[in-house]
Amino acid sequence: MSTHQAAAKSRVDVMNGNMAAAWGARLSRPQVIAAYPITPQTPVVEYLTQFFADQELDCQMSEVDSEHTAMSMLTGASLTGVRCYTATSSQGLALMYEPYFRASTLRLPIVMNIVNREMISPQTVWGGPQDSLTLRDAGWLQIYVEDNQEILDTTIQAFKIAEHQDVLLPINVCYDGFYLSHMSERVEVPSQESVDAFLPSYHSDHILLDPDRPAAVDPLTSGYLLMEYRQKHMAAQQAALDVIAQVHDEFARLFGRDWGGLIETYRMEDARYALVTMGSVTGAVREVVDRKREAGVPIGLIKVRALRPFPLQQLRSAMSGLKGYGVIDRNVSFGWNTGILFQEVRSALCGLDEQIPCIPFISGLGGEDITLDLVGQAADAVVRNTAMVEQAQWLQVAHEGR
Amino acid sequence: MTVMEKLAFKEDMISPGISACIGCNVELTLRTVMKILGPNTVFAVPPGCMGGVGVVGWNKQSGAKPPVFFPLLDNTASMLAGIRLGYNAQGRTDINVVAFAGDGATVDAGFQALSGAAERGDRILYICYDNEGYMNTGYQRSSSTSKWAWTSTTPVNASGGGGKRQHKKDFPVIMAMHDIPYMATASPAYIPDLVAKVEKAMSVTEGLAYIHIYNPCLTGWGIPSDQSIEAARKAVQSRYFPLFESSRRKIRITRKVKEPIPVKAYIQASKKFRHLDDEQIQELQELTDERYRFLEAMEQVSQEG
Amino acid sequence: MEKSYKAPMGEGIYEVNTGDWRIQFPEMDKTRCTECGICLMYCPVNSVKAGYGEVLLKNGNTRQGLVYTIDLSYCKGCGVCAQECPQDAITMKRENKR
Repeated sequence: MSTHQAAAKSRVDVMNGNMAAAWGARLSRPQVIAAYPITPQTPVVEYLTQFFADQELDCQMSEVDSEHTAMSMLTGASLTGVRCYTATSSQGLALMYEPYFRASTLRLPIVMNIVNREMISPQTVWGGPQDSLTLRDAGWLQIYVEDNQEILDTTIQAFKIAEHQDVLLPINVCYDGFYLSHMSERVEVPSQESVDAFLPSYHSDHILLDPDRPAAVDPLTSGYLLMEYRQKHMAAQQAALDVIAQVHDEFARLFGRDWGGLIETYRMEDARYALVTMGSVTGAVREVVDRKREAGVPIGLIKVRALRPFPLQQLRSAMSGLKGYGVIDRNVSFGWNTGILFQEVRSALCGLDEQIPCIPFISGLGGEDITLDLVGQAADAVVRNTAMVEQAQWLQVAHEGR
Repeated sequence: MTVMEKLAFKEDMISPGISACIGCNVELTLRTVMKILGPNTVFAVPPGCMGGVGVVGWNKQSGAKPPVFFPLLDNTASMLAGIRLGYNAQGRTDINVVAFAGDGATVDAGFQALSGAAERGDRILYICYDNEGYMNTGYQRSSSTSKWAWTSTTPVNASGGGGKRQHKKDFPVIMAMHDIPYMATASPAYIPDLVAKVEKAMSVTEGLAYIHIYNPCLTGWGIPSDQSIEAARKAVQSRYFPLFESSRRKIRITRKVKEPIPVKAYIQASKKFRHLDDEQIQELQELTDERYRFLEAMEQVSQEG
Repeated sequence: MEKSYKAPMGEGIYEVNTGDWRIQFPEMDKTRCTECGICLMYCPVNSVKAGYGEVLLKNGNTRQGLVYTIDLSYCKGCGVCAQECPQDAITMKRENKR
């Protein structure tokens, strides 16, 4: 099917990020869905159960008693070789940590949207990827997206990436709570036919519970063998770098939408400075980059889409030769006194010959707005800076008397 | 096929050599249950004695002939529910989806998963072997441990004080009150009864079936290996562990104990009760009488309905 | 050669030679045995085997039925069969092996 044909068969709608995720899941024909509602992910579950009630979604649907059960049920279902989907947020992710980790170490290609929300305390329901970033080393693939169209497109791609025979790992498509989950945007919904042509059905034989092919899953295992499995798991993460890029390119050819692959660069061709972002704040940074460019400042933007696997080479080649960069984190890494993405980026750039001056920024925690003005301040600071700044600069709007 | 023919000729589904303690009646229970269930079964063995002794296997080998796996301690029922959904999605509805879980994985950590599966009506057969604690890791207490019993986390001091301070959770009744299609208690001392109950549970096609088996632990309770069956028998004969079944809240005592032996005769079989004084023994006797009366009353109500 | 898996799997049967644990073994006295099968029913390690054969009755007649024998391969020597046998037809004997 050509791009033209696929585009002709899609329809345009206005929907929030949760509906975009639900459509992404629906079009991918999961065979088992188990999900538990939690703010701000709740509407995803409502939309999917409505599709199911309307007989528009042919799957096994379970309304479970907790997120722990949701992920447990999907690990069980995935062990029978079927395609599985769920979604969660924040405390729900924390509750499912135990089966979450295990879904990756059993190499089960489950797809889960994470509607990013802060971790309590203080008590909060608002946005911030502290939830999924804290779990970045649990073996899942994690992709962070910027808008509702990207949620839908990437959720469909996620199944193809996870189920690829070189990967066979579960994957999160993460998007900001409220900023995306509850904001409506124009979204093109591909036809079922075009998604079917893009996404083949799942076939599993790498780990299976089947009386016709009896085997034990997860016998008690010695350390030497555990190390072998870990090495294979890490190799699969590395293989995913290519697979994410391939699947992304194939999707872009078919559907005419290009999200950049592992990272997206914006006005980086001749840039001397860069702001590095993830998620929905990228839109504001894009706007600031345009304004600074108008004022003659050679600054660009790098949006990290894939956090796991980490796009080491892509970042190095995009950032080599810069005179300075800043990373805007909507999360914290407590012991480092910076955000998490900053630590990841700085580690990646250690491989370069030159040391690039850098600033870690923390902003927008608990769903606080990261305004154009704040991003502008960050850009100015990066241009002025000549040091390797190691402690976070906090960008926030003054809230006097509140 | 008579029960004896089934036991004699149905294939043993478990590795012939597993490291269960000498005389372990859980090993007997597992082998018996799995003979009846047969090869068209996927079964879960969560962390606990049977997982620890090699039923799931070691490194790249299996401890059983049918597909077997370790769920987490707390998600046995939900993983099995997922397996059922996965096979439903593929139109394969004839597979037995079974748990063989200890009381720790059932009445403590795994309770939410099990209660949720029971409420939703997930079609699984959940078997709990109740040896009153975390026996595989050195005899720590669970909520299924009997009151006053010694465990390594409810130790007893030199003057005989200590032991568990709470009564055993009445778990079979809790499961029956989920209105599941089948709930039964069973004992390794009453094998034909156990076989009949497993067969009934296998025939359930709508919802969850639960069997709670009372397995006195030789090593953890302090019972000589040749008394393995006798200890289990005395639990039933004293009414301490009554054998009954329930279907959608209709309760029937399957082995009426008309002339019970004193509870004292049962608890004397185990060293874990050796420090009890007469008052404590009397308390266990009263609890036993009370729970049995409650069961009879429920049976009565069920018959009236 | 060991099979290579992407994820932790096990095929083929893992077994422990539990017969090595035994310090006593059961001996069946067929002159007392009535072939009731209690020993098979309660043996925790499935070491009692059955086949069809002639069962000697008390009155000296025979009938066709299940006859039971003990296979010591995996027997751990727990003594349950001896304890449970209603005819006292099984006795536990010390193992002579070291």
